[in-house]
Amino acid sequence: MADEEGYLAVSGERITLQRRHHSASCREFLVRCPRLQLRSLSAVTCSVWLVAYGLFVLCQNSVVLSAAIFVTLIGLLVYLHFVKIDQESLLIVGSLGIQMTSSYASGKESTTFIEMNKVKDVVINEAIYMQKVIYYLCILLQDPVEPHVVSEVVPLFQSSKPRLDCLVEVYKSCQEILEQNKKS
Amino acid sequence: MACRRGGNHKHCLSTTSPSISNCHKLPSCSSRTHNICMVSDFFYPNMGGVESHIYQLSQCLIERGHKVIIITHAYEDRKGIRYLTNGLKVYYLPLRVMYNQSTATTLFHSMPLLRYIFVRERVTIVHAHSSFSAMAHDALFHAKTMQLRTVFTDHSLFGFADVSSVLTNKLLTVSLCDTNHIICVSYTSKENTVLRATLDPKIVSVIPNAVDPTDFTPDPSRRDNSTITIVVVSRLVYRKGIDLLSGIIPDLCQKYPNLHFIVGGEGPKRIVLEEVRERYQLHDRVRLLGALEHQDVRNVLVQGHIFLNTSLTEAFCMAIVEAASCGLQVVSTKVGGIPEVLPDNLIILCDPSVKSLCNGLEKAISHLKSGSLLSPEIIHSQVKTFYTWRNVAERTEKVYDRVAGEIVLPMGKRLDRLISHCGPVTGCIFALLSVISFLFLMFLRWLTPDYLIDAAIDATGPYGAWTQQYFRKKRETLNSNS
Amino acid sequence: MPSVQLDQTPRQRWQKVLYKKQPFADNYVDQSFLEKLRKNVHARKYLYWAVVFESGVMIQQLCSVCVFVVIWWYMDMGLLAPQWLFGAGLVSSLIGYVFFDAIDSGAGRNESGRTRWADLKSSVVFVAFTYGFSPVLKTLTESISTDTIYAMSAFMLLGHLIFYDYGANAAIVSSTLSLNMAIFASVCLASRLPRSLHAFVMVTFAIQIFALWPMLQKKLKAQTPHCYVVITFLSAVSALVGLLTISSVGAVLFALLLVSISCLCPYCLIRLQLFKNNIHGPWDEAEIKEDLSKFLM
Repeated sequence: MADEEGYLAVSGERITLQRRHHSASCREFLVRCPRLQLRSLSAVTCSVWLVAYGLFVLCQNSVVLSAAIFVTLIGLLVYLHFVKIDQESLLIVGSLGIQMTSSYASGKESTTFIEMNKVKDVVINEAIYMQKVIYYLCILLQDPVEPHVVSEVVPLFQSSKPRLDCLVEVYKSCQEILEQNKKS
Repeated sequence: MACRRGGNHKHCLSTTSPSISNCHKLPSCSSRTHNICMVSDFFYPNMGGVESHIYQLSQCLIERGHKVIIITHAYEDRKGIRYLTNGLKVYYLPLRVMYNQSTATTLFHSMPLLRYIFVRERVTIVHAHSSFSAMAHDALFHAKTMQLRTVFTDHSLFGFADVSSVLTNKLLTVSLCDTNHIICVSYTSKENTVLRATLDPKIVSVIPNAVDPTDFTPDPSRRDNSTITIVVVSRLVYRKGIDLLSGIIPDLCQKYPNLHFIVGGEGPKRIVLEEVRERYQLHDRVRLLGALEHQDVRNVLVQGHIFLNTSLTEAFCMAIVEAASCGLQVVSTKVGGIPEVLPDNLIILCDPSVKSLCNGLEKAISHLKSGSLLSPEIIHSQVKTFYTWRNVAERTEKVYDRVAGEIVLPMGKRLDRLISHCGPVTGCIFALLSVISFLFLMFLRWLTPDYLIDAAIDATGPYGAWTQQYFRKKRETLNSNS
Repeated sequence: MPSVQLDQTPRQRWQKVLYKKQPFADNYVDQSFLEKLRKNVHARKYLYWAVVFESGVMIQQLCSVCVFVVIWWYMDMGLLAPQWLFGAGLVSSLIGYVFFDAIDSGAGRNESGRTRWADLKSSVVFVAFTYGFSPVLKTLTESISTDTIYAMSAFMLLGHLIFYDYGANAAIVSSTLSLNMAIFASVCLASRLPRSLHAFVMVTFAIQIFALWPMLQKKLKAQTPHCYVVITFLSAVSALVGLLTISSVGAVLFALLLVSISCLCPYCLIRLQLFKNNIHGPWDEAEIKEDLSKFLM
């Protein structure tokens, strides 16, 4: 079963949160960011080309124009392949662990998996980010030697940055599963 | 993600999950509770009078049901958001420190963050501390632009003679001319602040600092009664009159062979004391302890019979209250607000000169020898009623209540006030700056509208996660008792 | 105890103490508020003529500089023979020397313990050395362009006036620097004179007018104020007359400068003194008045 809900990101963009309940101890959360819009793409391209044309008028060198075309093309490729994340997912399996996947706009996917015995807790934390103070969801990793010490913090949904209401939904589900896990 | 805080995950929201549901309900602010934001450059881990004032006052206000947060600048790796005892939330903002732990001010660069915090914490009163703190003045300026109520506490005295004080006084005039209320720590400090910032004395309240009397209890068994010990605890700087001390030590040590000095504290004037000790061969009688931790101060104080304070200027001297609370006879210079602090039977006041201080000390020594000094327990029981943080919080709360009923000057009136109150040149400059800051605020509101800012989950205050836990625990203990 | 008595009276009076809980609001303003405020404690009242008298030092120094430049101009034009100047300088130095001891009837000399023989020795050594080195002085700055020399001398003389010890207790005052700048200016100017004898006389004259003459002035001012006023007046007149023979416009401007310094500036000072608003009170940082260095000696 899967349900979908619309939320806002910290920056004010619309994002959707999709929840899939595969079983009682296995859930998946998908945060989908808005796709790259033709409007913003054309706006950026236009402005780069306008600047290039301005330079061309000033220095009368046609290399500028061809450079501008290359810059836009390569820039777009790099952006789609390494920067723009379309979708971030969090798969939590009670007895197994937590898997985080982020899919780039180009289709590239990067996946991280954390074993359940390493996970200490999943919490919502606050941080100062740029000129904002935001909430973010993170996984606390246990120190293998001392179980009470947190060795590392892994932030989740780093690129979409959902707002608190969305984080709370994910957080509650995660906690349910973690508790089940602890009981068993 | 330059500012993402790392390494600090002691207090995460997992503990506050039960109250997460109320994070979107705006607390119906009764007239009694306020959302207070303390702003100062000076806070722990820095140590000093202002720091402990802010901390203790915040704790007592939390106890009285208010929501309190503290904003300060980052101290080395301590940046981000931290929680202290009882859910006191501290924002360590990544702002550059310029001089003496005070941040650089451009009046604008701190605005986006401060505005974000004020909105997300739903702050109603901004309480800035210390006139040396640039961040405090920045916050006051932005809070007034955002139509928040403002309170300012001044902790220090200033002269009027030299160029630097003329300039700082002018800035203070600008900063305080449209602040709702000002708090000073002594009557002398009030007179000083009123003159410096040309204020109406009616909007200046006097609320002294306090001392935790349980931290400073007498212990006569630690004294060595075969000798007489004079204790000095202060930073060893010129303003604390260490030069006077360097005159007193040889003078008295020659007269009284069983007199000992213990000097706690560190500073540039330590070298002077060391020279005196060297020259008069007093190594066994003058002990220089160096910098003291706050918790060690009491252990040093109780070793002495007489406490000596040689400050040349002081708004409210905490050191003499601490010493008296430990049951010592206090001898002090008569400067600043010191004559207001202790009743005449507990303190011997002297002029700031070696001769007068020596006479005062000799008087104290003769009292000690004749046994006419009050016993430490009696002094302690007298002093402990004078200054308590609960009392300070109660009186500060009254100020907040009063301020909450006042209006914040709207933009037009604020400009009028600035121009009419701060002189034609400065007034116009700052009126222009406040217009710019207003436009900047408009821009920020357009960039990130208020509704996009997540309201923070209260740690303290009427709906605070900590408060509710605290009360639940209390209720449970009550139930189990009954 | 006074507090007990106060408790018995029905209406309590406000006390400026913090340790007592008083039935007044925290923002209560008592009548005694700012009672201890003192204004202009250290402000001095000036008398007009006293200030005018004190401005004499400055007038004198301006005149010295003026006379020095005028003399140099005469020498440069060839209107004044160096022998004449040297002779006049020698005579006036001798007269000054006699005066210097006569004014306080030898008290200063007895104090310093310096013999006449030592004075004679040092002056002879100085004159001999300057005479010996005058060809060097003459050629020392010859390769520098004349415009630069003029600019540098003007600059140095201005510096001399700025750093001169007029009796003010300020950080900028440095009589050594001031004297050095004047001598440097004289060396610069001497190099533009026709011969090395000229250079020698010029430097000697500079020493006389910038080093010896102020010493005599100081003594005159302290011992015989009337005489000092007359001498100031005379030197002002002589400087003006000297300048008049060179440039009438310069003389008028210089006269205006002297009048404004000696009459207008004191007037302004006294008027502005009325606006002085210096605040003192218990919040001031206490000053340590004793000399504490004795404990460390």
